[in-house]
Amino acid sequence: MPQQDDIEIYGKRRAMYIIITLIFLLYLGRLYQLQLIYRDEYGKKSEENSIRTIPREPVRGTIFDRNGTLVVDNRPAFSVTIMPFEFDRKNINYLAQLLSLDPEFVSDRLKKGETYSRFAPIKIKRDIDFKTLAALEENRGRLPGVDYQVESKRFYTTNAHASHVLGYTKEISEAQIKILGEDYAPGDVVGSSGLEADYETTLRGRKGAELTVVNVRGQVIGRFEGGKSDVQAVQGDNLLLSMDFGLQAFAESLMTGRRGAVVAVDPNDGGVLALVSMPDYDLSLFSGVTTPELWRSLNEDEASPLFNRATLTRYPPGSTFKMVLAVAALESGTITPSWRVTCTGAFRYGNKVFKDLHVHGSVDLIEAIQRSCNVYFYQLMLKTGLDPWSHYGAEFGFGRLTGIDIFEENPGILPTQAYMDRRYGKSGWTRGFLPSFGIGQGDVGVTPLQMALYAAALATKGEYNEPHVVHAVVRSNPHSTDTVAPSLRMINVSDATWSAVREGMRRVVEEPGGTGGMARVKGIQSGGKTGTAQNPHGPDHAWYIGFAPFDHPKIAIAVLVENAGFGGSVAAPIAGQCIERYLYGRLIRYDGVPQPATRAAHQPPLHAGMVP
Amino acid sequence: MMLAAIKERFDYRTALIALALVTIGVISVYSATYDAKAADTFHKQLLFVFLGFITMVGVMFIPFRLLQLISYPAYFLSILMLVAVLLLGRTVSGSTSWFTIGPFRMQPSEFTKITCVLALATFLARSDVSLRRFRDLAIAGGIVLLPVALIMMQPDTGTALIYLGMFFPVLYWAGASQFTLLSIIGPIVAAVAALFGTTLFLIAVVAFGVLLYLSMEHRIAAAAMFSLTVLVGISVQFIYDGLKPYQQKRIATFLDPNTDPLGAGYNILQSKVAIGSGGVFGKGYLHGTQTQLNFIPEQWTDFIFCVPGEEFGFMGSVTVLALFIALFIRGVGLAATVKNRYAGVVAIGVTSILATHTFMNIGMSLGLLPVVGVPLPFLSYGGSALIASMAMVGLLLNLYANRKEY
Repeated sequence: MPQQDDIEIYGKRRAMYIIITLIFLLYLGRLYQLQLIYRDEYGKKSEENSIRTIPREPVRGTIFDRNGTLVVDNRPAFSVTIMPFEFDRKNINYLAQLLSLDPEFVSDRLKKGETYSRFAPIKIKRDIDFKTLAALEENRGRLPGVDYQVESKRFYTTNAHASHVLGYTKEISEAQIKILGEDYAPGDVVGSSGLEADYETTLRGRKGAELTVVNVRGQVIGRFEGGKSDVQAVQGDNLLLSMDFGLQAFAESLMTGRRGAVVAVDPNDGGVLALVSMPDYDLSLFSGVTTPELWRSLNEDEASPLFNRATLTRYPPGSTFKMVLAVAALESGTITPSWRVTCTGAFRYGNKVFKDLHVHGSVDLIEAIQRSCNVYFYQLMLKTGLDPWSHYGAEFGFGRLTGIDIFEENPGILPTQAYMDRRYGKSGWTRGFLPSFGIGQGDVGVTPLQMALYAAALATKGEYNEPHVVHAVVRSNPHSTDTVAPSLRMINVSDATWSAVREGMRRVVEEPGGTGGMARVKGIQSGGKTGTAQNPHGPDHAWYIGFAPFDHPKIAIAVLVENAGFGGSVAAPIAGQCIERYLYGRLIRYDGVPQPATRAAHQPPLHAGMVP
Repeated sequence: MMLAAIKERFDYRTALIALALVTIGVISVYSATYDAKAADTFHKQLLFVFLGFITMVGVMFIPFRLLQLISYPAYFLSILMLVAVLLLGRTVSGSTSWFTIGPFRMQPSEFTKITCVLALATFLARSDVSLRRFRDLAIAGGIVLLPVALIMMQPDTGTALIYLGMFFPVLYWAGASQFTLLSIIGPIVAAVAALFGTTLFLIAVVAFGVLLYLSMEHRIAAAAMFSLTVLVGISVQFIYDGLKPYQQKRIATFLDPNTDPLGAGYNILQSKVAIGSGGVFGKGYLHGTQTQLNFIPEQWTDFIFCVPGEEFGFMGSVTVLALFIALFIRGVGLAATVKNRYAGVVAIGVTSILATHTFMNIGMSLGLLPVVGVPLPFLSYGGSALIASMAMVGLLLNLYANRKEY
């Protein structure tokens, strides 16, 4: 059976050759397109497939106090993560139960994380305890895509809280990610208050990345290029504070159970030695996971422990403010220190009666400061006028932000002509408003921090240093120390004026009849001023500002105790003990006095053996 | 003298091409199963290669007359096996196409392809048979449709399509009229075009109409064929609209794999990524990340082409493609050389089966064709397919040796 004739056959053969060749060319073109034209695109896709970037958290910078004591350290914490593309949604309930989380929270987190990247691990729970970790490890086979990361959490080494200074770190919110940008991912922590927030970029360091090769199930097969392309995490820089945590802890112990603030600064450079706002809270509660319950309890506490009373309040300063007027009166030439007023216990101006606590009789400026005569300052205020007083008030830093490096503060209020016109209308206020200003009442509002700096300026005869908590930033790689440059402003006041005002302050503490005798420290002369500020919220606030040693001051301090009564009996002893603790390194007042062994330096009695 | 005698009887070129492809296959299967806890697979494949060569040599030496004599019985035997496999077979991946013999499983449909070609050739070689007659055309169609119907019941669409890929060239070779060929291919083209939208469908219909007019023998038959084609196209569109969303999605995924990267389109996409990322020279043997990290599903069976593509790049994939093309050219050339009509049809049939497999498989790996599970001859892992492919090479070698027989 022969085939068809040759011509027909060769025609068909040719047709088939053509078809085969056409298909060959088509496929060749496709290969050319895939492998030569789109090689880079597919190469990238294949890398994305098989190379997984695992972020490596940097170790947050640690914090030291002025004595080199490590006060904020890190401890390892285990965070549970989910790799979305590997995770089986059916396991949500089981995982949630294992971690004692709400399944809806897990599913919500997963959904949000997935929109970010399916190949980036999502943190589900931070800082799990060891039991949970063990349970997780046991069930890992059942939970593909679930893993944990070792992170660091804050660890506070001293018994000082310093909560308002140090601040806390918190898991970053979506809003913050939008602001802070690419370096942050959901689940990261970010400094949210105090130094942690203010020095976030310094403390945080830089994230690293580990490149691993994974198979189709996302199982890690090994390191990409043996780790050559990994990016090392860079540790955050350390902070060296101007603070003395011994003093801080001591001041906190004195303020325990009270509401108020203590601010101590080094008058020579503005370095904050201690900053207490009471009530405070335990920062270590924030170091792991911040539960909503904790938040609620802190936020709803009517004593507002989260609120920094040292920098955010607007207290009337009371009599502690009298030196502003004294300086203004002397510098404006209104009076000389020898100008006298006879105090009858009250001062009538128009139809208003301004009261005094005592009948002081005839007093000069120094005596008026020493004994805190209100009548003297009522009259002096009227004599001096608003403008000089406002001017020197501003010179001492009132009515404006101090520039402290802990994130949040309030400028307070220093009444000026413009302020009064704005507040009450041009004809809405009279000279009758002025006498109150003379004794730090009325519209005047200050923060304890401003008061400490005011005390420091009085201590140094006019050196006004911008306050700072951070003394230096210590960089580890390469090792270098950036010291915070002090920012000094001189208050232009004559020596004679300083002498008179400071003599008044010395007598407040050191001389009989002074209102601040309870601030006295054995062996060290100091200056100070008490204040008892009337306020609309209840009993008077107790104030004390002071500095020591008198001639070569090393500490300036402001103490405020809310609704506690007389500054001389409540605030002054706290200031005195703090000064003693700082200058002697301990309380010498108990030397030779037998006392119960349990009374450690941190918990001394408030009044016992205070004034001999 | 001796060498010339061997060259005269032995188509060493075809044998070498097959040997080269089998070698590349072994290398690729090794890479695809390397580190994938499937070393067992590789060792089995080595055994299949051995069995394949024995089969090839065995088929090569079957006396030509005997071959013709056993064509029908072999066909009926293989049809019986297809029936048996439907009743007794093992289900793998939803398809009942396997017999288990000891540690090995056998897929009778792989061998039915060959017996079907043999039976078809035997029928078409009869001097009283003409494809111009409808009766003979119907019988030829029946010979092919019987195994196709049985295979569709397994179901195994990919393998069934291979029969069509074989049948059309065979009809052409055996002298079917242009009109007949157009009538067969018309509705298929119209149906596929309809899936891509109305515009393409209209273009296809117009083109088909012109071709039909040019090859027209009977007006009425032509008009009927044309109407049938239009009807098929329209009903495909209606059927598509009536499909459940997930079924439509499946089709859409084929048309654009990027729409569903983790669904069915995943395979195509990963395969394209593997081949594309190979670049000019490839990532190096055993260094293809897509292959080694198991990103490609079925990588040692249906997607084996990704291995040379990724690890040896453009050079590797073109080499493989070129070897196949060379084999097909030789097959077609042989069909034109043989004196015997039966031999010619067998050569065309066998070559078409191998070519359809190859083009469907590589087309799928390149994202040009939908994912239908057909193995790549010589390269894909799988005993039945490899032995069947080697048997077909054996047939070609046999026909070459007997090319001068009438």
